[in-house]
Amino acid sequence: MMSANISNRSFRPYTGEKARISRAYDYLILVLALFLFIGAFHLHFALTVGDWDFWVDWKDRQYWPLVTPLMGITFPAAVQYVMWNKFRLPMGATLCVAALLIGTWITRVFAYHYWNFFPINMVLPATMLPGALVLDFILMLSNSLTITAIFGGAAFALLFYPTNWPIFGLFHVPVEQGNGQVTVADLFGFQYIRTGMPEYLRIIERGTLRTYGQYATPLSAFASALLCSLMYTLWWYIGKWFSTVRYLNKI
Amino acid sequence: MKTILVKTLTAFCLIFSVYLMDVQTVMAHGEKALEPFIRMRTIQWYDVHWSKQAFNVNEEISVSGKFHVAEDWPIGVPKPEASFLNISTPGPVLIRTERYLNGKPWTNSVALEPGGDYDFKVVLKGRLPGRYHIHPFFNLKDAGQVMGPGVWLDIAGDASDFSNSAKIINGEMIDMESYGFANGVLWHAFWGILATAWLLWWVRRPLFISRYRMLEAGMEDELITPQDKLIAKSAMVAIPVMVLAFNAMANNDHPNTIPLQASLDQILPLPAKVNAGIVNVDTLKAEYRVAERAMKFDLKIDNQSNAPLHIGEFSTANVYFLNKDLPVAHQDLSGSSTVSEEGMSLDNNDAIKPGEQRTLTMIVKDGLWESEKLDGLIRDADSRIGGLLFLYDLTGKRYISSITAAVIPKFD
Ligand SMILES: [Cu+2]
Repeated sequence: MMSANISNRSFRPYTGEKARISRAYDYLILVLALFLFIGAFHLHFALTVGDWDFWVDWKDRQYWPLVTPLMGITFPAAVQYVMWNKFRLPMGATLCVAALLIGTWITRVFAYHYWNFFPINMVLPATMLPGALVLDFILMLSNSLTITAIFGGAAFALLFYPTNWPIFGLFHVPVEQGNGQVTVADLFGFQYIRTGMPEYLRIIERGTLRTYGQYATPLSAFASALLCSLMYTLWWYIGKWFSTVRYLNKI
Repeated sequence: MKTILVKTLTAFCLIFSVYLMDVQTVMAHGEKALEPFIRMRTIQWYDVHWSKQAFNVNEEISVSGKFHVAEDWPIGVPKPEASFLNISTPGPVLIRTERYLNGKPWTNSVALEPGGDYDFKVVLKGRLPGRYHIHPFFNLKDAGQVMGPGVWLDIAGDASDFSNSAKIINGEMIDMESYGFANGVLWHAFWGILATAWLLWWVRRPLFISRYRMLEAGMEDELITPQDKLIAKSAMVAIPVMVLAFNAMANNDHPNTIPLQASLDQILPLPAKVNAGIVNVDTLKAEYRVAERAMKFDLKIDNQSNAPLHIGEFSTANVYFLNKDLPVAHQDLSGSSTVSEEGMSLDNNDAIKPGEQRTLTMIVKDGLWESEKLDGLIRDADSRIGGLLFLYDLTGKRYISSITAAVIPKFD
C-alpha cells in the first residue's frame, strides 16, 4: 500500500506529442491484435470445431454445444490474461470472439458461398458473443482467476445453445423426405452435394449422452461448463506463459 | 515491433491455408487415387446410365445403374457398414433431390452386404451452368471413395433460373436458398452491435501504454470507474436474461422441432443377379504380363443354363474389355468410363454348350492397364484382381459372374 502511494504521487501522465504517439500506438496494437486473432483464433477454431461450425446439419444437440464452447474459450482466456493483468482492459474475450466472427464470416461468404457455391444459409456460423461479454464482465467485477474460471467458464458454455437456438432452431423443423422425416438441416446435407462429406461422417447424436433422451442438450451443456472451467484455467496460464511486456518497458 | 509484424504475416498465411484446406476437401476427386485392389474388389459398377447429359438449370435428370458388392472384399478394407452413394461434383453445381436403392427411397447411409446385388437411381437438378466431369461414387466409411464411371455434363441456362423449395411438415413452403438467412444475419448483427459497443466503450480511452504505466504505478482504481462497474453489473444480468428470452421466443415460433436425423437406412440386397448360380466361373490362374500389358486368365466355366453361351466382356474398375467376336450385340456402354473395343481374346471362342464345363484361356490386353493405374496391383500388399465377366446366349440374355484371383506377375 505504502509503495503504491509513493509511486502514485510520482506518476505523471503523458501530455502533448508523447500522448499523441502513445495513442497512435494504441490503435496500431489494436489493429495488429485484431488481425492476429482473426487469423490465429479462426485457424484454431476451424481445425478443432471445424465441421460442427461449418455445416448446418452438424449442429446437433449433443456434440455441438459440447465442443464449440470448449474450443471457443481457449483464446479468450489467454487474451483476457494479457488484457486484464497488464492493462486492466476487460475486453479480451469479446475482442477475440468478435475477431473470430469476422474471420468466419469472410470464409463462409467467400470460400464457401462464392468459391464453392454453397448457399450461405447452409454454412451460417454460430455466435459466442453473449458468453464472451459475460466472461469479460465477470473477470472485471471479480478480478479473480478462480471466480472467472468457474462462473465465467460455466456461463460461456451454458449460454451457447440458447444464444444460437434463435438462429438455428428453425432449421430443425421436420420435412418429409423419402418416406421418412428429416430436419431442414438434414435436407441441406442431402441436397447440396459435398463429395468429401458423406452423411455418415457427421459426429452427431451418438454415444452415452443420448441415453438421457430429451435431456441431451442440458447434459452436454453442463459437461461443457465443467470442462470450460478447466480449459479456461489452462489457457489463462498459456496466456501468462506467452505474454510479455518487454517492448512496452522499452518505450 | 518486428516480432509483431512477423506474427501478423504468419497469421495471414494461416488464414490463407484455412481457405485452401476448405477448398481441398470439397474438390477432392481422386478417381484413380485408391489402390487398384480396392477399385476392383469392392463396389463393382455396371449398367450406369444418365437420362441426359445436356440439360438446363432447374431441369431434373437422373443417373441409374447397378453394382455388385464383391464377395472377395479385401481384408485390409473395413466392411461397408456405412456407405453413401455420392456424386463427384465441384461443389453443389447440381442438387440431389431424390435417391433410391433397390427402388426404396434412400436418404442416409446404408450397410452393404458383400456378395449383394443392388440397383440405384439418383435424381439431380441443375443449379449452376457449366461443363462438368462427374461420376457417381461410393463413400465407404474408413475406406475412401470408390468411383463409378465418369461422364461430362453440360448444364445450360442461367443460374438465376434455379429454384429449390421444400414443404415443411406444417404444409408451409420454404425456399432452401434463402431460408433462415435474414434471421441469422439479424441475430449476428444484434450481438455484434452490443459487442462493438462494449469494445468502443474501452477503446475511446487511452489504452495500452498509458494503462500499463498507471497499473505499474499502483493506480489500479482509476482504471475501472464506478460507471464501468455499473454497466458491467447490469449487462451481466441483462444479457443472460435476453438470451433465455430469445431462446423461449424461438421455441415458441417453432414448437415442433426434431433432432438431426442420424439413422442408418435399412435396405437389403436384391435377389442374386451376379453369381446367380446358373453359370459358374472359377478362376484357376491369373497372370499379368508387364511388357505386353496383358492379363491372362485360366477360367473354368460351368454352363448350367439351357442355352449355349459366349463370353462378351470383362470389366474391372470401370474399364471394359470387349470380345469383338461376340455373335450378339454388346451391352450399352455409353455411360461407361473406358472401353477397350478389341481388348479381349479367347483361345476357344466356340459356344459353351448347356451342361458343358470348359476350361479356357482369356487374355485381356490393353495399354489401359497402365493408364488407368491398374497394373500397380502386382506391387500391392493385396495383389488379388476382381472383376465382372459377362456371358451371353444367342437371344442376348446376360449372365454375370464376379471373378477373383491372385495375380502372378511376368516381367519379361
Ligand atoms: Cu473422373
